[in-house]
Amino acid sequence: MATITLSNLSKDYGGGPVLRGIDLEIREGEFVALMGPSGCGKSTLLRLIAGLEEPSGGEIRIDGRRVNEVAPKDRDLAMVFQSYALYPHMTVRENMSFALKQRRLPQAEITRAVEGAAAKLGLTNLLERKPKALSGGQRQRVAMGRAIVRNPKAFLFDEPLSNLDARLREQMRYEIRKLHRELGATSVYVTHDQVEAMTMADRIVALNDGAIQQVGAPQELYDQPANLFVAGFLGSPPMNFVDATLAPDGALVAEGQTLARVSPPAGLAAGTTLTLGLRPERLALTDPTKGSAVRVDVVETTGTGRVVHLALGPQRLKLFTMDPRPLAPGDVVGLVVPPGAPLLFDPVSGARLS
Amino acid sequence: MSRALALRLEPYLYAAPSLLLIAAIMLVPLVTGLSYAFHDLILLDPLSGDFVGLDHFREMLDDDGFWTALRNTVVWTAVSVALQFGFGLILALLLDRPFPGRGLVQALVFLPWAVPGFLSGLTWAWLFNPVIGPLPHWLHGLGLLATPENILSDPHLALWGPIAANVWWGIPFFAITLLAALQSIPKDIYEAAAMDGAGPLLRFRRVTLPLLAPTIAITVMLRTVWVANFAELIVVMTKGGPADATQILSSYIFTLAFQRLDFGYASAVAAVLLVLLLAYAAAVMVLRHAMTERA
Ligand SMILES: Nc1ncnc2c1ncn2[C@@H]1O[C@H](COP(=O)(O)OP(=O)(O)OP(=O)(O)O)[C@@H](O)[C@H]1O
Ligand SMILES: [Mg+2]
Repeated sequence: MATITLSNLSKDYGGGPVLRGIDLEIREGEFVALMGPSGCGKSTLLRLIAGLEEPSGGEIRIDGRRVNEVAPKDRDLAMVFQSYALYPHMTVRENMSFALKQRRLPQAEITRAVEGAAAKLGLTNLLERKPKALSGGQRQRVAMGRAIVRNPKAFLFDEPLSNLDARLREQMRYEIRKLHRELGATSVYVTHDQVEAMTMADRIVALNDGAIQQVGAPQELYDQPANLFVAGFLGSPPMNFVDATLAPDGALVAEGQTLARVSPPAGLAAGTTLTLGLRPERLALTDPTKGSAVRVDVVETTGTGRVVHLALGPQRLKLFTMDPRPLAPGDVVGLVVPPGAPLLFDPVSGARLS
Repeated sequence: MSRALALRLEPYLYAAPSLLLIAAIMLVPLVTGLSYAFHDLILLDPLSGDFVGLDHFREMLDDDGFWTALRNTVVWTAVSVALQFGFGLILALLLDRPFPGRGLVQALVFLPWAVPGFLSGLTWAWLFNPVIGPLPHWLHGLGLLATPENILSDPHLALWGPIAANVWWGIPFFAITLLAALQSIPKDIYEAAAMDGAGPLLRFRRVTLPLLAPTIAITVMLRTVWVANFAELIVVMTKGGPADATQILSSYIFTLAFQRLDFGYASAVAAVLLVLLLAYAAAVMVLRHAMTERA
């Protein structure tokens, strides 16, 4: 178990910065998700921590010790690769023993560790098989097993579930969480999947374009996103963004309709254009006479409820509702935005204002 | 013809053209060649042509030239292949990591492969000639030769001339095939091994070598058969001499057939070489099978 501290870390492969000014403290025993879109630098950051890449600037410390110059093999971190990277010429048992053999542990101890981990992961009957004779889910477990037998200072995961089908992914999500609770080891988990990040992490690090956008507990990022990027990345269906103007009385006006009223944040002049962030599940429907009039565009049934696509003039919104009222495309309905629901963003900088 | 018979014959009729072709192209020459081994067949001797049974093979037992050639074949093949493989592997490992100008270096390294065998034989023969070549003087300078003389005319050393040429000529074959095999090993396996605590040497032993093993087995086998049969360099550089000291079986066969014109005896030696190589190939196959079973 370890703390990992990154200070002003940067990486440049020669074609412009891939990571910039990364400051992050990963606490002992914490499960941190590095979340962001493809190409934002998640894997690069993880590989910097692992020692598989060299930083262009800044510092990495593990338990306070600077490790910039320490080889991967001497950092005592375990990594689970997206491709699993199992040794194809070794059996499951040999794959899992490999690291322990390098440390010259006694054979009895290796056997005990490997069989213990195999039992935890349901691999006991597969120990003598080669990776090519395993299913994707089983390979994934072997990759996990190879990491946990070592009892490392910290686990690094690079999208370990992205090659699995949806059902298996959900199950492994739960099992990785359970393992983390049992082992209590510091874990850094890279994912582009907001559901994985939300459900698994103690804290989420939202990355975009090589820079940290926000760090915090999942609910905190969901409720108080620092900017448009974080707001739009979390949630499914994603947050609605509506262009609106702030009236002198605090009314938020879009397409000639007052959507909501807020006590105007300090320093915002009346007439300012804002981007309004509205979570689909916080919106409600009513009669056209009682709310802002919007037109129904498309209705999608999800099982738990319906996702209703609404047209507010030229702008589009999604609303999630469990309201059973009949809805057909073309209907005009009333939209209710409860007080406290709208988040205000600066349309230029993207930063949240309220 | 009954319909049932026609149906039974159908698959054989489909297969017949290719079988006939294979028989005509491969089996007929092979069988003809082998049958010479049992006949007294001397070109320009109109009285020859009788069936002599195993006479040629008995003759071989007492033929010093045959035994020298057999011994030389083993040394020539083993040393050439081992050095070609060793240098080829080192070269492949060096070329597998990125460095500036890698493309150009790769192209240069593979150049010897494009040189015709007899041309490289000629060039190396010149290099070993003290009048025009530098090698004898270098070897003398290094203290390996007492006097800067032509090793190709020393019966004890002459075989090393063609071996040197052969090694130079054959390294690219191993470098190319091993480099291709190296590049097909996913990089993340090495990264996983590094994270698992293995340094460069262990990664090579525990990851690279086992994953290269199938390629190594097949290329070494192919190369061995090919080098054992490869008389060109010897014929060009020493003509088997001085005094047959550098004959290998295939150059000896060539000498027997085209200088002594004894096709019958030459065919018998060729049959022995064929059997030895088949036995070798079979042994490698069995070994490889056993290895992959276990692996
Ligand atoms: N070895 C490299 N050389 C040059 N550029 C690289 C290298 N590796 C990554 N990059 C660049 O760095 C950026 C970040 O890559 P990275 O692999 O960290 O993205 P990621 O967030 O993990 O994306 P994904 O979700 O697709 O895996 C990308 O623009 C990529 O092109
Ligand atoms: Mg990645």
